[in-house]
Amino acid sequence: MRYADFTSLDLLLLLQGLGVSAALFAATTVIGTAIGLAWALLRYYRTPLLAPGVAVLAELLKNSPVLVQLFLVFFGLPVLLETDLSPEQAALITLSANTAAFIYVIAVSAIESVGRDQLETARVFGLNRWQTLRRVVAPQAAAFGLGPLAGLLVNQLQVTSLISVIGVIDLTKAGAILNQRTLKPFIVWTVIGLLYYLMARLIARTCARAESRLRGHSQWKGL
Amino acid sequence: MSLTFDPTTLAPYLGFLAAGARLTALACALALAGGLALGIVVALMRTAASPLARRAAGIYVDVFRNVPFIVQLFFLFYGLPEIGIMLSAFATGVLALSLAGGAFSSDVIRAGILAVEPGVLEAAQVSGLPRLAIVRRIVLPIALRSSVRPLGSVFVNLVLTSSILSAITLNELTGSAKIVASDTFQPFEVYALLLLLYAMLTWLVSLSAGVLHRRLNRSHR
Repeated sequence: MRYADFTSLDLLLLLQGLGVSAALFAATTVIGTAIGLAWALLRYYRTPLLAPGVAVLAELLKNSPVLVQLFLVFFGLPVLLETDLSPEQAALITLSANTAAFIYVIAVSAIESVGRDQLETARVFGLNRWQTLRRVVAPQAAAFGLGPLAGLLVNQLQVTSLISVIGVIDLTKAGAILNQRTLKPFIVWTVIGLLYYLMARLIARTCARAESRLRGHSQWKGL
Repeated sequence: MSLTFDPTTLAPYLGFLAAGARLTALACALALAGGLALGIVVALMRTAASPLARRAAGIYVDVFRNVPFIVQLFFLFYGLPEIGIMLSAFATGVLALSLAGGAFSSDVIRAGILAVEPGVLEAAQVSGLPRLAIVRRIVLPIALRSSVRPLGSVFVNLVLTSSILSAITLNELTGSAKIVASDTFQPFEVYALLLLLYAMLTWLVSLSAGVLHRRLNRSHR
């Protein structure tokens, strides 16, 4: 006999899934941003071999389905290296690398958005390359990059839903479990969709607020 | 056996993978047509004078852009039979891809419509053309021509997204690769090959979108 009604425990499952999705999103965003910025630095300093290598890697990660990357890491890597990988670890590795590729692209174009004349001015003032990056390029590039970053983060949140396919109990998997038990697809998937929608909204709003703060210095304040 | 990388053993499975690739291509082509048709209608609604049409189209785009594709797919795959609509996995997949593609392409087309110079529209209105003719003969040709390249990147995303159709038992390229991987016990080789295949496929798509864009906009530089 199957118990097909919704119970209060389902709420717990939903919350757990929500927590896993949010935590994985946060972790991969932090790790991916760090790696992506490091890649952009390799390009900024024109590191031989590494800089073009990173460009190719980012292009490959951007132009292949995340699902295939996930399968490659989860099913392929353990066979190749003869190790064990939990679904959570595989998800963390894949999504961090994927986020890093997109952050890299955003960071490169943000750095390039700062005019060459400013770099030359900074050089004339005797700033070295790191100081120029830290004091001149980074603040402006951050303001420039936040718009695309907001779009990216909303997208990356949606990408986390794919980890349900390799067995991580995230929000989507929680939905699949509830769907299978209650056989009420409309209610279940509407609720899951709504939760994702609300999270996406929250991310977009946070980014918009951060952007207006970073751009504050250049705004007209009145006389 | 550690660190063996031997892609030659995959040779007998290439035909099987090609069949999967054909299914992916078919699904993407159908979804491109469906998504483009939907995107044009929605973009026209979003730039319409009626606030109701603008609002309805806005909600559609907002929902389909902010909910993960796999959730939309499961909603349709499990939900449609519930209300008596029996579709095959392939049809459901194409429908879901078209709905998501429509939301994304409407954004691009809307930007193209807004970029049409007001003077052109005024000239058309002054000449006494009916509204439908203005849309069909003047606004859409200009808007679509200028949005070929961005539509190309929407299509690239569509191709990448189509891999998710393997989650509803459809054996397109990714689905067939899963079968090959479990057949050969060489998941790394299979998925590495698949990654390269998709990268090449999307590279070709964006390359041809660029060529088409240049050709269509040749006389307007």
